[in-house]
Amino acid sequence: MSRLAYGRDYEVVQWLRPEPMTVEEAAGQQKIEDVDFEIFRHKMNMIAQEGKETTMKLGASTGMRWGDVAFAIYTAQGDLAVVATGIWFHAVLGQIPVKYILKHFADEPSVRLKEGDSFFWNDPFYGGVHGADMGLAVPVFDQGKLVCFVGAVVHTGENGATDPGGMSNTARSRYDDGLLCPPIKVGERYTLREDILTMIGSHVRDPRTMILDIKARLAASRIAERRIQEVLGDKGPEFFIGGLRRILSVTAEAAKKKVALLSDGVYRQPRFLDTVGTESALVKINLTITKKDDGFKFDFEGSSPMFPDKPLNTYFHGILGLAMVYFCGWFFYDLPANNGLLETIEWHFPEDSFINAKGEVSTGLAPFPQTAFTLGMFLCGARMSYGLDPLRAVAAWYTGFGAPMFGGINQWGEPMADTFAELNATGCGARPDMDGVDCAGSYFATMSDCGDVESTEEDRPFLYLFRNYFRGSYGHGKYRGGAGLGYCLIPSHVPGVVLGAFGYGSKFPATVGIFGGYAVPPTFVQTVRGSNMKELLAQGSPAVPVNAEQAFQGNGAETGRREFHHSSMRIQPFQNGDTVYLPVGGGAGYGDALERDPEAVVADLRDGMVTPWAARNIYRVVYDDETLRLDREKTQALREGARARRKQRGKPYGEFEKEWLKLRPRDEVIKYYGTYPVSRAT
Amino acid sequence: MGFNVNIDIGGTFTDFFAIRDGGDVRIAKTPSTHYDLSVGFMKGMQELARAYGLPASAFLSQTEAVHYCTTVGTNALIERTGPKLGLITTAGFEDTVFIGRARSWADGGGAEANKDLSRIQKPIPLVSRDMVVGIRERIDCFGKVVCPLRREDVIEKLQVLVDRGAMGFVVCLLWSFANPGHERMVKAIIEEEYPEDYLGSMPVTLSSDVSPKAGEYTRFTTAIVNAYIHGIMGEQLGHLVNELRDGGYKRPLLLVHNTGGMKKASRTRAVLTHNAGPVAGLHGSLTDGARYGQQNVIFTDMGGTSFDIGVITGGRLSTYDFIPVIDRWRTNIPAIEVKSIGAGGGSIAWVNEFLGGSLEVGPRSAGSMPGPACYDKGGQDPTVTDADLVLGYLNPDNYLGGKMLLDPDLSAQVIEKKIAKPLGIDVDEAALRIRRIVDAKMGQEVFSEVVVKGLDPRRFVLYACGGAGPTHACGFAPYVGVKRVITSPFSPVFGAFGAYTLPVRQVWEKSKAMKIFRWADQAYSEDAEGFNAVVHELKDVALRDLRLEGFSEDQVEFRLELEMRYGMQYNLTKVVSPHLTVYGPTEFKDICDRFTEQYSATYSPEATFPRGGINIECFYLTASVKSRLHEPEALPLRGPSPPDAARAGSRKAHWAGLGGPSETPVFVFEALEPGNTLTGPALVEARDTTYVIQPGWRFTLDPYRNGILEPAWAAVRPEEEEKR
Repeated sequence: MSRLAYGRDYEVVQWLRPEPMTVEEAAGQQKIEDVDFEIFRHKMNMIAQEGKETTMKLGASTGMRWGDVAFAIYTAQGDLAVVATGIWFHAVLGQIPVKYILKHFADEPSVRLKEGDSFFWNDPFYGGVHGADMGLAVPVFDQGKLVCFVGAVVHTGENGATDPGGMSNTARSRYDDGLLCPPIKVGERYTLREDILTMIGSHVRDPRTMILDIKARLAASRIAERRIQEVLGDKGPEFFIGGLRRILSVTAEAAKKKVALLSDGVYRQPRFLDTVGTESALVKINLTITKKDDGFKFDFEGSSPMFPDKPLNTYFHGILGLAMVYFCGWFFYDLPANNGLLETIEWHFPEDSFINAKGEVSTGLAPFPQTAFTLGMFLCGARMSYGLDPLRAVAAWYTGFGAPMFGGINQWGEPMADTFAELNATGCGARPDMDGVDCAGSYFATMSDCGDVESTEEDRPFLYLFRNYFRGSYGHGKYRGGAGLGYCLIPSHVPGVVLGAFGYGSKFPATVGIFGGYAVPPTFVQTVRGSNMKELLAQGSPAVPVNAEQAFQGNGAETGRREFHHSSMRIQPFQNGDTVYLPVGGGAGYGDALERDPEAVVADLRDGMVTPWAARNIYRVVYDDETLRLDREKTQALREGARARRKQRGKPYGEFEKEWLKLRPRDEVIKYYGTYPVSRAT
Repeated sequence: MGFNVNIDIGGTFTDFFAIRDGGDVRIAKTPSTHYDLSVGFMKGMQELARAYGLPASAFLSQTEAVHYCTTVGTNALIERTGPKLGLITTAGFEDTVFIGRARSWADGGGAEANKDLSRIQKPIPLVSRDMVVGIRERIDCFGKVVCPLRREDVIEKLQVLVDRGAMGFVVCLLWSFANPGHERMVKAIIEEEYPEDYLGSMPVTLSSDVSPKAGEYTRFTTAIVNAYIHGIMGEQLGHLVNELRDGGYKRPLLLVHNTGGMKKASRTRAVLTHNAGPVAGLHGSLTDGARYGQQNVIFTDMGGTSFDIGVITGGRLSTYDFIPVIDRWRTNIPAIEVKSIGAGGGSIAWVNEFLGGSLEVGPRSAGSMPGPACYDKGGQDPTVTDADLVLGYLNPDNYLGGKMLLDPDLSAQVIEKKIAKPLGIDVDEAALRIRRIVDAKMGQEVFSEVVVKGLDPRRFVLYACGGAGPTHACGFAPYVGVKRVITSPFSPVFGAFGAYTLPVRQVWEKSKAMKIFRWADQAYSEDAEGFNAVVHELKDVALRDLRLEGFSEDQVEFRLELEMRYGMQYNLTKVVSPHLTVYGPTEFKDICDRFTEQYSATYSPEATFPRGGINIECFYLTASVKSRLHEPEALPLRGPSPPDAARAGSRKAHWAGLGGPSETPVFVFEALEPGNTLTGPALVEARDTTYVIQPGWRFTLDPYRNGILEPAWAAVRPEEEEKR
C-alpha cells in the first residue's frame, strides 16, 4: 500500500527484526570483555526494572495499577534491547514507534530530536496491539549524540473511542476507535507541553487518569535517562552502544540454538473466533508453523477476510507480538526478551485478511484475534517442545478475555471510564504433571494481578456481591485447568453507569485443551435489571448467591428482568441496584480425563472444585455421596466401560473425514468466514 | 554492674552481643538449633558468661535487659507447624486468600523461578479451604452496613469450624478497617459461646485489630499469618523466658520488631517479629554512623546465602513504600524495608551455554548444606566462597577462627571443571571473574535500592556487615559509588549489635481516605476534624500501650507519616507530615506541598500533578521512647604502621590487573591498633571474617576499631569527583 503524505507509514512497521549493525555498534562490541558485558547487561536490566516499577507506582489507570506495563531501553536505531515487563508483546512492538520517530523526525527541521524531548503515541498501527496501549519514549544523548531511547508502554485503557474503557466492540471504522495518535512530540526542554496535554486530555472521558499515566511514563523515563547517563559517564558511548547491540546479538544466537533443538516439522493449528464485534459468527485464523533447522515460518494463508465495518481486525505485527508472549513466557523463558528473538521467525500474512488490517478498518477488538492466535502458539508449541522438555508442553491459560468496561461519574463526582482488573484472574492451563493454578493471572500480562475488591470499590461506584472461584470454568483432563473467577457487580452510590463487556467464547470455546484435555467451557454475561438483590442483601437473606454457580443456576429469589449476553456485551446503561454477573475463564485441560487420579477428583469434590456431575460423567468416578469415600473398583469398571464405548464409536479416518466434510455450519454463522471450508476472501 | 544482652538468630548461626555498664563488650556465635532455638540461645548465654568470667547464673542475674531478634514465627511458617485455624469471612469472598490477587504464586518466589511460567505454583495455604466459612454481612466503602450480621448465622458457621477441629479463629471481613463493628460482633459471639473458662476457648484474631488498613488481601493475610504464628511464638518464648528465669534473669524479654523498635514479648504482635534481625542491623548502622555525624547510611550484610540492603536518610529509619512478603505471604505491616537478594558466599557460578557461554553467578545458592565445594560436604558447584579461597583471600586453616577447615583443591577442581574449561580460561582467571560478577551484581543492586528512593548514593557511607561483608566490600563499593566503607568489629554479629541500639518504638496505623485537595473544585479540604480524629485515636492507643510498658507521656516522641497519592493512583507515597494537628486549609496545603516536594525530588518535577487532586489514604503514627546507650570510648591513635604482632606473614593472592599471583601481606585484626593504615593489596584475618583490601584501597582502623575502607580515587578533588 502506498504511503500518502500524512497517512500511515506501511514501511516502518515492517522493520521488526534488528536493524543492520552499524559500524559503531560493531566497533563498540569489539571493545567489550565478557565479564564487562555481563555486568552491563545486569545494569541495563536493573534500569529497566526500576523504570517499570516507577511507572506502575505513579500511574492511575486500571492497567497501570495492576501491572499492565512495559519499560524498555532501545538502541539509537530503535531496536528494543532490554525490557522489563510481563507483557511480552512489547518486546517486539515497542520499537516501531521509536523507529518511526527516527525515520520521520530525526532530520525534520520542525521537530528534530533534542535532549529533554518526549514523544507519545497510542495508534495501534505503530504500537501494534490496540489503542488502549499508550507509550512514551525519550531520546538519550551523550554530549549531543543520540545513544538510545528509553520509554514505557502501558495499557491506559480509555482513549475516547465510541465505547468507554478502551475496548470498543461497536466501532465501525478506525474513526470510531477514539484517539489514535501516531508518535508526536509532547514535551521539550524537560517540560511537557500544556497545549498538547490539553488536546490529549480533551479526547478522553477521564482526562486525569490519562495525564497521570503520561506523567508516570515520563517520570520513569527521566530516571532511566539519568541512570544511562551515569553509565555513559563511566563507560563511554562506544561501550554503551556496542553493549546494547551485543544484547540483541546474543539473544538472537541463543534463540536460534534453542529453536534448533526442536523437531523439524509442519504444525497446523486453525483457530476459531465466535464473535465479530457484538455479533455471533465464526471466523478463522489458519496458523501453519513450519519449523526447520533454527527457524520458524508462520503462514496464515486461509484465514478469514478483513471486516470492513467491524472492530475485530488486527495489524499483522500485533499477531507477531503475541507470538512473543508465548515465546518469552514459555519457550524462551530463560532468554532475554528483545526483538533479536524475531531473527528466528519468518512470516507470511495474506492480503485482505482480518489479521493483516489495512486502510480505515477498526481494530478496536484487535486483542481478540491476537489472543486467539496465541492459543495456536500454545497448541503448536506443546507439540513442538514435547520431545525436548515435556514438562513445558503445557495447556493454555484462558485466552478469551471476559471483562466489563464502563463509564460514568463515580461516587466522588469524578468522571471515569475504564475496565476491571479481574481479567487478570484467569486459570492457568494444566501441566503434564500437575493441575493448572486456580486464578493464576493473565497469560499475556503475567506480572499483572486482579487487585482487591476494596481498592476497586473505593473509587468505582460498584458493590461486589461476590468474588470467588468459578468452579465450572476450567477444562477437565488427566490434569485439570486452573479455575477462573466469578463475580457480580451492583452499581451503587450513583444513579447509574454505562457498562458493557468484551470477550469471546460464548458459543465456541475460546480455549481448547491439549493431548485429549477438555476445552474451557463457554462463558457468558448475565444481567438482572430492576433486581431486588440489594433488598435481599439488606435482609441478610441466605438466598443471596455467593458464587457464579449459584448465580447462574438461580434460585428464584432474585426478581427483575434477567438477560443473558455474549461475553462481548454492547455498552448499555445500568441503574443503581441492577446486577451484572461476570465469569473469568479457567485454564484448559491436559490429557484424558479418564486417566485422572480418582483421589484427585474426590479431593476436588471436597474442596468444591469439581461438580458431582462432572465427577460422575466426565471423570467416571464412583464415590459415596455422604462421606465422599472413593470406590476404586467401581470407578475402574466405569472407566473401562467408557473406554469400550469410545472404541465402539471409533471409525476409520477416511470414513470420519467423509462424514465430517458433509457438515457445514448455517450460513449466518459463517457469513464473515470467507469461503467454506477453506476460508479466503471472496 | 548490669549486662545488656542482644541475640540475633540467623539461618546458620545465632549471634550474641553483650555489653556491661562500663562498655565492656563481648560477642559470641553459636550454631542455630532450629529444632529448639532456646538450646542455641542458652548455649550462647553460657559462652558470654564464660567470656566475662562469671558463672551462668551470676551472669543472668546481673543481666538487666535481653533484646531478642527471633525467627521462631518465621520458622513456624516455613515448616507449616502452626495450628489449624478457622477463617471467618464475608460470604461471597471465601476464596479471597486463595485467589491471592491472582499472582500470589509470585510472592516470595525468586525472580528466575517466576519467569518459568510452565511451573508456577501457589503456596500451600495456611488455612485449608474446608476451614473457611462465609457469614452473611457486608459493609460498603463508606463504612455503612448494607447487609446486617445475624447472630444465628455466625453461630451456625462457627459450629462448622469447631466440628472440623479449629484451634483458633481469624475474622476477616470486607471494609472492616473502615467499620470494625461486624468483626467485633463476631468476636463477642465467639467469646460468649466459648468463654475463657471453657476448654473449648480459642484465640480470636480480628483483621481490623492486627491491620486496620485498606486492601483485603494483605489485611487478611497479615491477620492469618499473625494468628498462625501467635500460639507457637507464645509457647516457645514462654519456655525461653522460663529458662531465663530459672537461670536467674528477672526482667522481661524484649522482642525486636521489624518496625525498628522493640517491646516486651508479652505486648508484641507476632507478625512484627519477622525479619527483625536485618532491621536491627540497619539500626545498628544508623547508631554507629551517628558517631561520625553520618545522616545518610547504606547498610549491607553479606552472609552465606543472601545479601541484605537497607537505607537510612536524615539520620533516622524511614519507612519507604514496599510490600513486606513473609514467607510467601504478602502483608501490609509497617515494617522497615531491608531488601534481601540471592547473593552470598554460597551463590553458584555457572556458564549459560545458550547465551554464548556467558558466566553467571546465582541466583541458585549452595546454602550452608552442602555449601561451597571447599566445605567438603558434597558441594559440586563452584561458589563465590570457592572463588575467594582459590584467589588466596581466605585462609583455609583459619576460616571462622579455625572452626571450619576449607579444602582449596576441591574449590579449584569445581571451578576448573564447570567454569574454566568451558570458557577456555585458567582457574585463577575464572575465580576473578566469578568474584567480579557477584560484586557487580551486589553493587548494582545496592545502587538501585538507593536511587529508586530518589537518593544519590554518592552522598552516603556504606556499612559492610556480615561474615562476608568485609571480604567483598572493596569489590562491590565502586558499583555503588560511595567513597567510604565502614566495617565494624561487630560486623559478624551486627544484627545483635543493632538490637542493642534500638529504642522502644512502635508504629500505629489506620487507613482513612481523605481528599485534602479536590480535583472537582480545586480546593483544599476543611475537614480538620476528620484528620485530627484519626491522629487522636492513634495517639490514645499508643499512649495507653506505652504506659503499660512503664513509660510516661513526656518520654514519648511522636512522628506522623501519611500515605498519599494524586487522584486515582494506586500506589502510595509516604511523607512525614509537617503537622500532627490541622486546623483547616492552611495546614492541608502544607501537607500537600510536602507531598509534591517529595514527589518532585523523587520522580522529577515533570511528574507532579497537584491539579489532579491529592488524597491521604493511610495514617502512621510512630511513638518512640529514647534509649540511653553507652557511648564507646574513642581509643588513642597509635600511628599508621601496624605493630609487628599484627603481621601474620604473607600468602599468594590473585588481584585483577596485577597479572599472576602476588605475595600479599596478612594481618591479624585483633592485634591491629587504632590509627594503623594498610594499603591494598592486603588481607586482615579476624575471628569471624576476612578483610580483603584490594589494590587501590586503603584500610584504616579508627578510634572505635571500625575499619574504614577508602578507594584511592576518593582522595581526588571534589570537582573531579562530580565529573566521575
